[in-house]
Amino acid sequence: MSQLLGKATLLRCPPGTSLQDEGRLSGAQYGIPTSGAMDQKSFHWANHILQNTVNPVALEMAQPGLRIQFDQDCQISLAGAKVLASINQTPLSNSSLISIAAGDLLEIGAFLSGSRLYLCIQGGFQVERHLGSGSDFESVSSTSKRSASEVLTYVAFPQLNSLRAKPKWETSWFESPEIEAYRGADWELLSSAQQELICSKTFHLSKLSNRMGIQLEELVPNQLEELPTNPVFPGTVQLTPGGKMIVLMRDAGVTGGYPRILHLTEDGQSKLAQKRAGDPIRFQLIETITG
Amino acid sequence: MIPHYQLLSPTLGELVWENQPSDELLGYQLAYLNHIQINFSDTLMEARQGFTRISLVWRNLKNQQEFLTHLKNLKLTPMELSNAIWQVPVCYDPDYGQDLNSLAEAKNLPLAELIQLHSEPVYRIHFFGFLPGFFYLNGLSQRLHTPRKSVPLLAVPPGSVAIGGSQTGIYPMQSPGGWHIIGRSPISLFDIKQPIPVWAKPGEQIQFEPISTSQFQNWKEAYPKLIRP
Repeated sequence: MSQLLGKATLLRCPPGTSLQDEGRLSGAQYGIPTSGAMDQKSFHWANHILQNTVNPVALEMAQPGLRIQFDQDCQISLAGAKVLASINQTPLSNSSLISIAAGDLLEIGAFLSGSRLYLCIQGGFQVERHLGSGSDFESVSSTSKRSASEVLTYVAFPQLNSLRAKPKWETSWFESPEIEAYRGADWELLSSAQQELICSKTFHLSKLSNRMGIQLEELVPNQLEELPTNPVFPGTVQLTPGGKMIVLMRDAGVTGGYPRILHLTEDGQSKLAQKRAGDPIRFQLIETITG
Repeated sequence: MIPHYQLLSPTLGELVWENQPSDELLGYQLAYLNHIQINFSDTLMEARQGFTRISLVWRNLKNQQEFLTHLKNLKLTPMELSNAIWQVPVCYDPDYGQDLNSLAEAKNLPLAELIQLHSEPVYRIHFFGFLPGFFYLNGLSQRLHTPRKSVPLLAVPPGSVAIGGSQTGIYPMQSPGGWHIIGRSPISLFDIKQPIPVWAKPGEQIQFEPISTSQFQNWKEAYPKLIRP
């Protein structure tokens, strides 16, 4: 049976909008970053609601203003940041599971809390995959970001009957400042004074943040030299010679030469991805590694 | 050169060597990498290589512990490194290497000597990182070691050949960068449309071949020539 394909037109597309999924695992051997949704927790939740499997591709937004029109029926789910959203100018009270009818216009307004919003669609957006992933990244995918008037393809699904229970997306989990982290590969190079400072101090997110990394404002006095270049991952926290802490995120290069002092848990990475410039965070060190 | 293993999270750990980067260490790294990829393909999610570490991502903690047990009795001999050399054309001209003159001046070297120091050695490819298709090389002459710029350039042109610290490399695509740019190569370093997007493998070698500006402008081949000593 052939599938009916729908077209979703981006009538307006704010900067920082890209297609993302779980990312690439086999690209590091060629220097290709992991990429994928910055907040995997929200991304997975919305795709679970849609009963999506096999690495579905979703639209990630970091700013309000998206207008998108669908030309076929489908189901979508919004998760991540708490936003004002409307269908055909009627505000949505619950945007966790939305039945879209052909012709519907979805608009994303203000971000009330959080930094990244996921528009997930039943079956995922249909894009060319490279190394198993449809995530946008310069020189790996056809484009590194999405822009207005682009058309995204999806598989049309008839609307669901309304009997299905509607789950509601909660955002309280990312509001507390505690970020869980493991000791990084180079943690033992730090002095005990540095270690104590990192565990006790409240840090704030700097404005210098993007999909590659999030810098923190407060410095950690540091005499450590650069090290031989070695592997890093999303969630690795580096300490620069100037004492700046950089939390590497999904688009970070796969190796680095600064000491790798912490490694955030996956939940910690998702939580940090929802923080804004100026937000406070405190690192909570995980003492024992358990399954 | 038997590595020890550092457990970092339930799913992440790394093989640690305390040695300096060298051909010998690389031979051991490639032997371990190969052994792990063959024997643990069901439970290993990802492996990443650096100069002195191999990081491993496991499906779960149990899988990681199984590997740790296996590692205790593991003694591998180093992999023999390739003798093949990729000949990479580079136009060392101030038009393409905007820092060529200032670097020569800072090092108190005539331009020709700087170019010779850079293009004479055979460099070993250790791994890819930083950008898609960017290889990390070992073998830069000590005389050319230069601290990175304090203010990085926002847009280093693709193909730029540069020196940073004790490293030299080629930017495969436009990117911000803090290395000193001494020339440019006309070849392609990364092409996602190919089944394998890079032409070289860790363990292989490259040598830079100086070319003129007009050779650079008329260069046709996308890939370097493979030569043997």
